[in-house]
Formats: sequence, C-alpha cells, structure tokens
Amino acid sequence: MVDSPTVTKKFQKELNAGIASLVLLSVLEKSKEPMYGYQIAKLLEEYSGDASFMKQGALYPVLHSLENSNLLESKVEPSVSGPPRRYYEITSEGKETLVVWQGVWKQMKSFVDKAIKGA
Amino acid sequence: MIKSIEEYLELLKTELQGSDAATVQDALSDAEEHLRAALANSREKQPKMSEEEALNSIIEQYGSPAETATAYAEVERRTVPQLARENAQSESALARFFGVYTDARAWGALLYMLIAFVTGVFYFTWAVTGFSVSVSFSIFIFGLPLALLFFLSVRGLALLEGRLVEGLLGVRMPRRPLFTQPNLKWLDRLKELAMDRHTWFSLLYMLIQFVLGVVYFVLIVTVLSFSLSFMAIPVLQEWLGMGAIYNNGLRYYFPTWSYPLLVLGGFLLWTTFMNLARGVGQLHGRMAKALLVTD
Repeated sequence: MVDSPTVTKKFQKELNAGIASLVLLSVLEKSKEPMYGYQIAKLLEEYSGDASFMKQGALYPVLHSLENSNLLESKVEPSVSGPPRRYYEITSEGKETLVVWQGVWKQMKSFVDKAIKGA
Repeated sequence: MIKSIEEYLELLKTELQGSDAATVQDALSDAEEHLRAALANSREKQPKMSEEEALNSIIEQYGSPAETATAYAEVERRTVPQLARENAQSESALARFFGVYTDARAWGALLYMLIAFVTGVFYFTWAVTGFSVSVSFSIFIFGLPLALLFFLSVRGLALLEGRLVEGLLGVRMPRRPLFTQPNLKWLDRLKELAMDRHTWFSLLYMLIQFVLGVVYFVLIVTVLSFSLSFMAIPVLQEWLGMGAIYNNGLRYYFPTWSYPLLVLGGFLLWTTFMNLARGVGQLHGRMAKALLVTD
C-alpha cells in the first residue's frame, strides 16, 4: 500500500499550520464571550466529530501567535478550581483580518476542489 | 503511561530543552491549565474512571509531550517578537551607524533606559522595604503572610518587567505567569517561593535595576544636553548674540569657522550614543532574561 502514515501525518500537519489560525479566529468571532483554551478545544472536538484533525496542545501556540499579531487579546482570570485561565477575545483588527481570510479560504477551496475533480 | 500532570510537565520540559526559556514557560502554563481543566471535567462526568486512565485519554487528545513540544517550536520559529527583527548584515558599517535613526530597537532601548530610572527606583524601594519588613516581622506570626505577599509581588513585578523588556528591547520574555500548585497551603506556598532561585534572582534584578536606571538616566541627560548644546552654539552666538561659555562676567565665543564642526560634532555624538543605547539595550535584555526567566 502506498499510504504511509508518516507522509499523511506530515501532509496533515502542513495543512493545519494555516487552517488552525482561521478556525480559531472564526470560533472566537462567533463566541459572544471570551473563551479559554480548554473551552475552545472542547468546541472544536464537537465540530470535528470522530475525526481528530490536530492535537489540542497545538492550539495554544497558535493562540499565542495570533495574540502576538494583535488579532486576539487575552486576559488571565483566576478560576474556582485549578490554575488561572487565559481568556481569549478577538480584536477589531482580528475581525477585519478574518473577513479577508474567509475570502482567501473560499477561493482556495474552490481552486483545490477544481484541481481534484479536474473539471 | 503518564501518571500525573506533574510528570507530563516534567516530560514536556525535557522535550523543550534547548528552546527559548520564555517559550518553555508559556508551554508549561498552557499545558497545566488545559490538563487540570480537562481532568476536573472528566472527574465530573466519569467519576468511576481512575485518575490515571482519565489523564491518559486527555493526553491522547492534547498530544504527547513530544508532539506538544514540536508544535511550540514550530510556531515560535515563525513568530518573532515585534522588535527582534534580524539586522541586515549586508549593509556597510557607515550605513549601519547612521541607520540607527530608523532602527526601532535603538529608540525602544532609549525609551527603556528612561523608564528604567522610574522602575528602578520603584523596584529598589519595593524590594528593600518588602524584604526588611518581612524579615523583621517574621518573629511575629503575621510576618509570614506578609513575606508570602511580598514574594508574590516580586513574581508579579518580574513578569511585568519581562513584558516591558520584550516590548521595548525585543527580547523574547514569558507571556504567562509561572504555574504553581493550586491546592498548596499558604505556608507551603511560602516555603516553595522562598526556596525558588527564581524569586531571589528577581529580587537581585530589582536591586540592580536601580543602579542601572540611574546610570542610564544620567548618561542620556548628559549626552543629550552636550549634543544639543554643540548644535545650538551657532544659533546662540549669531542670532541671539550670547556667548557659548559665560564665566565670571566674561563671554567666550567660538570662531565662525568652527560652526560646521560643532554642529557635526553634536550630531555625531548623539548618533554614537544611539548606537551605544542599542547595544546596551540588547545586553540589558540578556541580563533580564538570565535573571527573570526560570530555566
């Protein structure tokens, strides 16, 4: 069989690199309240169903990098149980960027679909 | 099989060895936050499941220490602190020397050196007062909670200073506070803080910052006033009719031919200082990293 798991894994990882940012921004844009990491991970788990696209631990560095680019902002709040939680919220710059990214994603999707179908 | 959250964090720390100390601190805090929240959640939903089992199914989703470490390393490689841009090495020495005016790091360092005066005085006062009050009151029972509060404030200030250093000097510093055991009694917490090298290094930094802050401030003010004075001499002498040096009722004038040299001298002095400030800023950042970030 040609399907070698490492090749597929690598492909999945490369795909995720960009998509994770788009997904996280979208989730936080839809959310009415600031969310913390575990909450986001749970929500994404619901969306993905049985298929797991990326490890939850990989979400956090992406959140940091989005915050670093001023697309998200965060604040730490103490929690009733356990360590303080970092709550993330989308910024106005993030919202503007998301609109652009969604456009890019749409174009990309139709491009990839066409390439796969060969139409 | 990983038996506890602490074990996971230890393994993650080992996996992250060699990465930036600030990244390690962020990664550990994230993992701690996530795993604890997930574990509490699973305890509620499946109280019968053993802790170890629950933890391992959580880790299955979160990613093994190795996977998590790779994820951080990868994102870190793509994101660089705002000011830590690579300096173009292809430029000539002269271009680099005068290019300092367009280098955000040099202006950031200059601003940092000014702010260091204020923060330095504050840190010093805080450290000395807090320390002596905590020590002298520790003969009473209420001295100990006071000491705990003081140590916690030192941790907080260290994080704050780190943000300042990253923002102005472009040296990557932790973005999250260090994680601590949530269910520790306050006396154990105090012991943990007092035994931690990190606390004492932060205190040391607060003392050093005072000396450095004063030196930085004096340097900036002196060099700036000298540079501006040199450049102002032609204006003072020609348009305002004042002598450059005024001593005992005698006015001394610089000859007209020296005007261009004076202005050029003043400009070069300030440019040199800006270059110096950029270097000092980088050195200061390295020191802050060594003292304020745990390894």
